[in-house]
Amino acid sequence: MAKNSKGIEVAEILQDKCIACQICIGECPVGAIDLSPEGLALVDPELCIGCGKCQESCPVEAVKFERAGKKELSREDRGMPSEGVPGYEGVAVFIEVQDGEGVQVSWELMGKARELAEKLSTRVLGFLLGEGVDHIAREAFAHGCDEVHVSEHEVLASYRSAPYGHALTRLCERVKPEILLMGATHQGRDLAGVVATHLKTGLTADCTGLTIEDRTRLLLMTRPTFGGNIMATIYCEHRRPQMSTVRPMVMKLPERTPGREGRKVFHEWAPPPVELPHIVEFMGDALEGGMDIVQSAALVVAGRGACDPEAFHLLQELAEVVGGTLACSRPVVEAGLLPYERQVGQTGKTVAPKLYIAVGVSGAIQHLVAIQGAEKIVAINPDPNAPIFKVADVGIVGDYARVIPEFINQLKNRMGA
Amino acid sequence: MHSVCCIKQVPDTAEVRIDPDTNTLVRAGVESISNPYDIVALEEAVSLKDRYGGRVTALCMGPPQAEHSLREALSLGADRVILLSDRAFAGADTLATSYTLSKAMEKLAKEHPIDLVFCGKQAIDGDTAQTGPGIATRLDCTQFTYVLKVDWVDLQKRQIQVTRKREGGREVIRGPLPALLTAELELAVPRRAPLPLLISSLQAQVEAWDAKILEASLNELGIKGSPTWVRAITSPPAREGGPAFDVSREGEAQAVSMALDTLMDEKGFLSKLLKRWEA
Repeated sequence: MAKNSKGIEVAEILQDKCIACQICIGECPVGAIDLSPEGLALVDPELCIGCGKCQESCPVEAVKFERAGKKELSREDRGMPSEGVPGYEGVAVFIEVQDGEGVQVSWELMGKARELAEKLSTRVLGFLLGEGVDHIAREAFAHGCDEVHVSEHEVLASYRSAPYGHALTRLCERVKPEILLMGATHQGRDLAGVVATHLKTGLTADCTGLTIEDRTRLLLMTRPTFGGNIMATIYCEHRRPQMSTVRPMVMKLPERTPGREGRKVFHEWAPPPVELPHIVEFMGDALEGGMDIVQSAALVVAGRGACDPEAFHLLQELAEVVGGTLACSRPVVEAGLLPYERQVGQTGKTVAPKLYIAVGVSGAIQHLVAIQGAEKIVAINPDPNAPIFKVADVGIVGDYARVIPEFINQLKNRMGA
Repeated sequence: MHSVCCIKQVPDTAEVRIDPDTNTLVRAGVESISNPYDIVALEEAVSLKDRYGGRVTALCMGPPQAEHSLREALSLGADRVILLSDRAFAGADTLATSYTLSKAMEKLAKEHPIDLVFCGKQAIDGDTAQTGPGIATRLDCTQFTYVLKVDWVDLQKRQIQVTRKREGGREVIRGPLPALLTAELELAVPRRAPLPLLISSLQAQVEAWDAKILEASLNELGIKGSPTWVRAITSPPAREGGPAFDVSREGEAQAVSMALDTLMDEKGFLSKLLKRWEA
């Protein structure tokens, strides 16, 4: 136990555990903690008064501090039982609309919301904005929603940040959900930041895991951070709603129950009297004869090791045999061989196909975080130590140019072709 | 035209990982860099200055060593740089961060009204993409995220038109100034710092603002102003891998055959494949 010259037990930062979040620096009442030249927290023992605040606030138990007579608080104890924030109830999903229909990620979230709501013994809410969209409520009910709250207005006919932000904020203020989930699409991320700021509440992006903590009834939101190298579990104790965005294909699409009924509530809404942006033109992505890689049940994915235009005929042929689509990892996009729309990974798309064939993909963590939902992963790579083999259900160590023709032949035989 | 660009200093995330044996964060040798999306945003701000005249101010919130990112901004053409640094800012989530940055911009705007605010679409360490929309909301300016191109700015009519990414394609959208833009990598190609600017950037005095100068409410800053907290930090879940068959040992035909046997082991795999995965 470290004591300073005044005989006070002082805190010590374990340098190998500190993540430099600086929370303790902000918490220390006497300014005894600073960042070291290595960028980690460092306690000045002569300034430390031994209050233990840094230890209580440290998210990773990097503060070593033993004070006589004081029982060390466990992490559980510190997460003080929460009575929740009174007056807020229900798990809400923002239903994103595209071409007059709810997008799939909204239904995936509806399934997750159902699960969370059952744990909390509350109801599932759908928030729906647009013009002439109330028919979508039926789909929401079929996917497990109990109540759909709708605001319709011509200004909401196409998405713009300001009016949507205003309208969704109003719905939250009227309906007061304890949780609000949104798809981590371009629109969802654009909108979530606006609404969370209006409501001054916490927002956690790109969550891959959502659960309710039994004792506190808090939403625990787990997300990849530091480029996917680390998972952080986040919570929001004092503000409501607890907001979270989730990427498409991360949560499982719930089974649809046609004819399931629910309640539809309309809310009057008028746009704020300010000049709004005007959408001049929309240009759809040409998918170049292929389909959206997120929707494809099978993917053949070219990585750095197959970054060769010559290879693409072979990969395309394999994709056709398995009924799939050609996708790629980042180096292939950077080399200009395939468009960004085909990129799987942290900076590309998250996918969850039935079959995922990685060709020359080494398996960097940024790639692996985006394929966790894949059912079967097949890896073909000449390097037996490539990290992709650690996650692949089946691997073939070898040169793809020789392996794939053989693979196609044998597969065709087995398929009876 | 006055543009303000927000820059974040981030660890080079490719190198951050958890040691699987000790379950601790490995940081040794991890360098700090300027968030690449922010540098693209800065480049666009500087090239618009070249086109329409005016000034570019770069802001960075962080510990004192974050001034390196601001020196980089000077070398790339920013006219003025300000470091927002205070113990009270530490531990901020995106809500508190957007508060701090918008307070700085309110103060800047008193000297020179702001026409455009630039941010990267997201930072590579947190990947949240939340700070930009937070600032736009607080400053009540037009919000354009995922911007691919600035088509034009009309300072007389106080309008801007951009091309931005959205689901399924791109949209051309125009709206009133002031506006906040978040940059996709395609927005601009950062220039190399010219030698004279590089040298003067190293000698420049970096202005620093603290909570007091910002006249910020202490309850909205840093950890106090942050509704989200970290409960735990872990390694990503590992997926259980299966066997790998080596062509150099088995030969192509045998390796492929064994691999396919493993795949077909799962009941229904072949029939799903034959039905082209339709349920």
